Amino acid sequence: MPNTLIEDNGAMVQVTGLTKQFGGLTVLDGIDITIRRGEVVAVLGPSGSGKSTLLRCMNRLEEIDSGSIVVGGETLVENDETGKARYAVPARAGKILARMGMVFQQFNLFPHMSVIENLMAAPKIVKGQTDEEIRPAAEELLRKVGLFDKRDVYPYRLSGGQQQRVAIARALAMRPEILLFDEPTSALDPELTVEVLRTIRQLAEEKMTMVVVTHEMSFARDVASRIVFMDAGRIIEENTPQEFFLNPQEERTRCFLRNMLD
Amino acid sequence: MEQILHTSALMLEGSKITLQIFFLTLVMALPLGLIVAMARLSGLGPLRWAMEFYIWIMRGTPLMLQLLFVYFALPMVGIRLNDLASALLAFTLNYAAYFAEIFRAGIQSIPRGQYEASKTLGFTYGQTMRHIIVPQMIARVLPPVSNETINLVKDTSLIYILAMNDLLRVARTIVQREFDMTPFFIAAVFYLVMTFILTWGFKKLEAHYAKYID
Repeated sequence: MPNTLIEDNGAMVQVTGLTKQFGGLTVLDGIDITIRRGEVVAVLGPSGSGKSTLLRCMNRLEEIDSGSIVVGGETLVENDETGKARYAVPARAGKILARMGMVFQQFNLFPHMSVIENLMAAPKIVKGQTDEEIRPAAEELLRKVGLFDKRDVYPYRLSGGQQQRVAIARALAMRPEILLFDEPTSALDPELTVEVLRTIRQLAEEKMTMVVVTHEMSFARDVASRIVFMDAGRIIEENTPQEFFLNPQEERTRCFLRNMLD
Repeated sequence: MEQILHTSALMLEGSKITLQIFFLTLVMALPLGLIVAMARLSGLGPLRWAMEFYIWIMRGTPLMLQLLFVYFALPMVGIRLNDLASALLAFTLNYAAYFAEIFRAGIQSIPRGQYEASKTLGFTYGQTMRHIIVPQMIARVLPPVSNETINLVKDTSLIYILAMNDLLRVARTIVQREFDMTPFFIAAVFYLVMTFILTWGFKKLEAHYAKYID
């Protein structure tokens, strides 16, 4: 498929026929999904449905067995003649992956660096930028997530919600075109969840492209432009939040919603 | 009094050899240990096996035997080293093996999330190791490294078998010549002072690294 066509669709990430096995167990079974620029896609589904694995496949924390992933028109991985996944050469794959940022359930901040150092580490080490070049932008990002006054403290001094906001700012410091969130609030108390969701909502208003794997139903309903529902390694249903919650098409979706909303 | 001063002067000379072996071994064995640890953790099978074999040999045979081997066996195959070089070679190879195991355990104790976060930020494996994993590892391994370092202070006394006049050998010579036990006490004090300084130094280092550990 010519790259221009994909760009014209406004596709930021295009996943086609993705399969992934863990030791003979198929955890993703022919996933097709397109993330368009500026979209916020919430991925819902029961535990073990493969939603986190899908996210981890998109940025190559897991390698896929077959299928293709195209990011902004550039092919990260596609099937070879034998139908097995073949990745782009390392230099090229690295460039493609740099277009994506990731936020983890467990934050994964660097504990031996202060908050501002966490933000500046990758621009400095990966892009070779100087302190003076990146500090203003890093400080701006910290203001944005409301943690400028915490810039010089170490992560362990922060609450979980604050750590997660730093992790979001850290991902943004590399200027990704799309942010992937892997259950960003699952390790947080409800009152801390709110502040993280507020930050994600703010990014949504700025038209940041995001894929959010979450269990937060009300967040998905209010913020997502599209809901993707997964079960047993497949996408069961895809729809706008209104349709998804008010008029679910599939029995499995209805069952899931009954359980979650009760 | 004069006797004690004279004895002390001789022993000071001996302690220089001891300190020389101690510091040079440390300076070489610590980086070598890190390299061995990295090699042991690498995905290259043969490299990993070679390192496991090396560590097995070094930890599985007495340091004394290793010293004798370097000193007496290597010249037979044409490798001639002076006394100091022989001692340093044996000590460095031996201690690097122990340090390697400490570093390996330290590296493996760093959560996988640190690697994943680094990877998604675009770090290469080398950058991840250098900037993220190793600095955190160092903080975690300070107590066992401190242990080994203190062991090294005392293990330096093994070089007496190579006929090198280290602190303990000087002390023994004087004791045998003059039937006076004082040199043994002086030697004991020397080792204790060294150990005290090292303990204090490592405490400082631990406090320095504790600033980010909850």
